[in-house]
Amino acid sequence: MTEAAIRIDGVRKTFGPKVAVDGLSLVVPRGSLCGFIGPNGAGKTTTIRMIMSIIFPDTGSIQVLGKGSALESKDRIGYLPEERGLYKKMKVGAFLAYVAQLKGINASEASRRAASWLQRVELGGVINKRCEELSKGMQQKVQFIAAVLHEPELIILDEVFSGLDPMNRRLMRDLIDEQHRAGRTVIFSTHAMFEAEQLCDQIFMIHQGRKMLDGPLTDVLEQFDTRSLVVETQSDEGVQQLRNVEGVAEVITGTDRGADKRAVQVLLSEGENAQRVLARIASTVSVKRIEVRRVSLEEVFLEVVRRSGGGEVDERLLAGFAVSSGEGGES
Amino acid sequence: MNRTLLIAIREFKAVVFTKGFVLGILLTPVMVLVGVLAVKLIPEAPEMKVKVALIDQSGAASDFARKRFGSEGAQAEAERVAAEMTKQIDQATGEMGLKGPAVDAAKSQVQSSAAMITGGAKSIALEVLDAGANVDELKNQVKNAQVGFGAPQLMAVVVVPKEAVSGPLVDGKWAEHQLFIHPKLDFQIASIINRRMGDAIVDARITSDPRFSGAQLSPEVVRATFARPDPTPQALGREGDKPSMGAVQMIVPFAMMILLMLSVMTGGQYLMTALVEEKSNRVMEVLLSAVSPMQLMTGKIIGMMCVALLILTIYGGAGIAGLIVANLVDLIETSKLIWLAIFFFCAFFTIASMMAAVGAAVNDIREAQTFLTPVMLTVMLPWLMVMPISRAPNSTFATVLSFVPVMNPFVSVIRLGGSEPVPNWQLAVSAVIGVLTALVTAWIAAKIFRIGVLMYGKPPNFTTLIRWVRIA
Repeated sequence: MTEAAIRIDGVRKTFGPKVAVDGLSLVVPRGSLCGFIGPNGAGKTTTIRMIMSIIFPDTGSIQVLGKGSALESKDRIGYLPEERGLYKKMKVGAFLAYVAQLKGINASEASRRAASWLQRVELGGVINKRCEELSKGMQQKVQFIAAVLHEPELIILDEVFSGLDPMNRRLMRDLIDEQHRAGRTVIFSTHAMFEAEQLCDQIFMIHQGRKMLDGPLTDVLEQFDTRSLVVETQSDEGVQQLRNVEGVAEVITGTDRGADKRAVQVLLSEGENAQRVLARIASTVSVKRIEVRRVSLEEVFLEVVRRSGGGEVDERLLAGFAVSSGEGGES
Repeated sequence: MNRTLLIAIREFKAVVFTKGFVLGILLTPVMVLVGVLAVKLIPEAPEMKVKVALIDQSGAASDFARKRFGSEGAQAEAERVAAEMTKQIDQATGEMGLKGPAVDAAKSQVQSSAAMITGGAKSIALEVLDAGANVDELKNQVKNAQVGFGAPQLMAVVVVPKEAVSGPLVDGKWAEHQLFIHPKLDFQIASIINRRMGDAIVDARITSDPRFSGAQLSPEVVRATFARPDPTPQALGREGDKPSMGAVQMIVPFAMMILLMLSVMTGGQYLMTALVEEKSNRVMEVLLSAVSPMQLMTGKIIGMMCVALLILTIYGGAGIAGLIVANLVDLIETSKLIWLAIFFFCAFFTIASMMAAVGAAVNDIREAQTFLTPVMLTVMLPWLMVMPISRAPNSTFATVLSFVPVMNPFVSVIRLGGSEPVPNWQLAVSAVIGVLTALVTAWIAAKIFRIGVLMYGKPPNFTTLIRWVRIA
């Protein structure tokens, strides 16, 4: 499965004077689970729509599942658009069956699959309800089912986590993971960095229409390793003592929230080994907790935006994420 | 199953299997009927008790006036009106070949209308005053009358000058009587007073003229002499003489035109609103990930065409059934129905394409209004010209209009129902123009559709649409 599921080559798309996507090249390996991130207005939805052949690039080429365009393999692709909606007056079961039929599944099989999928996402009772009677989260799940009902090889999900509560986010994550494990290629765009970090093996980031990050998640995170420790001291004096430890370049305080009041970020000097400094701190300062800090995708995201001159990001915000990444609290 | 067909079926079901559609289809004719009946049920003469003062300066008219306003005169008047109306009904139903309970019902309606006039007559009391009575004082009395349903009030004053009965004629005309009324007096009562006084004065003229009385000519004889004969025209047909169709002729072109417009516009309207809704609740992208814009548009148009055809069949079928019941079925010919079907398809595809383009281009219904106005105008224009076109379907005006794209199916349908047969070649040319128009509109609409369906934000204008057509 080394063949690319999607190959984008030098694609550019403008809307009037606005350049939405500029010289974008990407390869999505088959069977991978890719996160597609970027700030609002970065060009994610435009890129996805071009992949789907809903709109067409001005220049460059896009290959999908080995074909010249998604039009030739529409039935092998599942798509959850960002701008999502259902026929308000249509019954949920009928809607799903209709969409599946449009994807080439025969009527009886489409109804059967719709029913079993609704059961799986705990929506068995709504099959005969009108779509407008569902809550936003329920609608989201129905949309997801519509995208995967025909068992596509490639699943493209645009902003799949928006509007979901934590429980449903987790359910969605499990569903996506399950599709991935079944050997399908999944691409999802999101602003939910935690979910992206949890799920993806590949990550792409675009900003202002240009590619900023591309590659396996672990590589990307390593690239942005800030080389620092997180230390929670027993007392306030401990923080002072930290500054005197050999190999410590800087101690950043006030980056914590809530329970981690005394946690600080310790930046290492150039060329220092994290393990050695960790040992020194442990022997000189009385600490509650000490760990090598792992950079989070969220920090990477903010850092990339900051470096490329995205003026909207507040520096304090960046510092604020130093210790308190991973709000979800699980791993 | 073919995806275009799948879309068509869903669109058809989404419209037809709704309470709104079923009620709309059934209720429209019911409401028309109720409207017609409501007009008939409004009482013709209001029951207002009225007193009329007569100042007869001629001295000859008051006796006749008393007779005309008395119960005997009112009875005679009612009978005369009833007879006149019955004759008209006989004439009209005879023209249409109608008979049976409906006609009898109409006749009995006339009897009761006539009775109402008699009743109305009783509520008008005439009071003859001296020739020298003070007119200004009476006028004041009328002006200050309290309008109500209590004791009869003086609501009108009639002054008959001497010259109104005995002449001389000025510029070949008799002098007229004067009628002063309270501003709130019902116009029907005012006209009854006027008519009765007029009749009384004419009676007075005839009897007081020695040339008539000497020859022993009664007012009735003189009046009958001057009544203009008004026979019913007899149209000469192959199956023998039968009464001319008259106004009935207009029914078919009107009905065909209404049917065509109703079905085409309803289908088009549904198409547009469905598209606007899909766009605004973002179902569009889900659909476009499965089918191409062309398949989507075609499917929708076919679905709505079936809706329009259904409307056409229901109303058209009801109309034909009505004609069969009324024994008028020879007003329509099979060939005309075939032409109607052909022009229906031309008109539907043209209008539906326009509606699809508009629906795809705009963000909400309000924005659509700008684009709908020209569409509506081209459809309404032939509607305004139904009369001239159907009365002279072979005039240069009608012929040329039937070749003008977009409106030609409508004009041709009116011509078809008109008073003269239209040359087949002209209908064929019009149909070809209709088909070409439909193709061109669909082609343009497809381009606008493809770009428009995914465009959100700034409402487009005509320039934008033209640009889309160019770049698509």
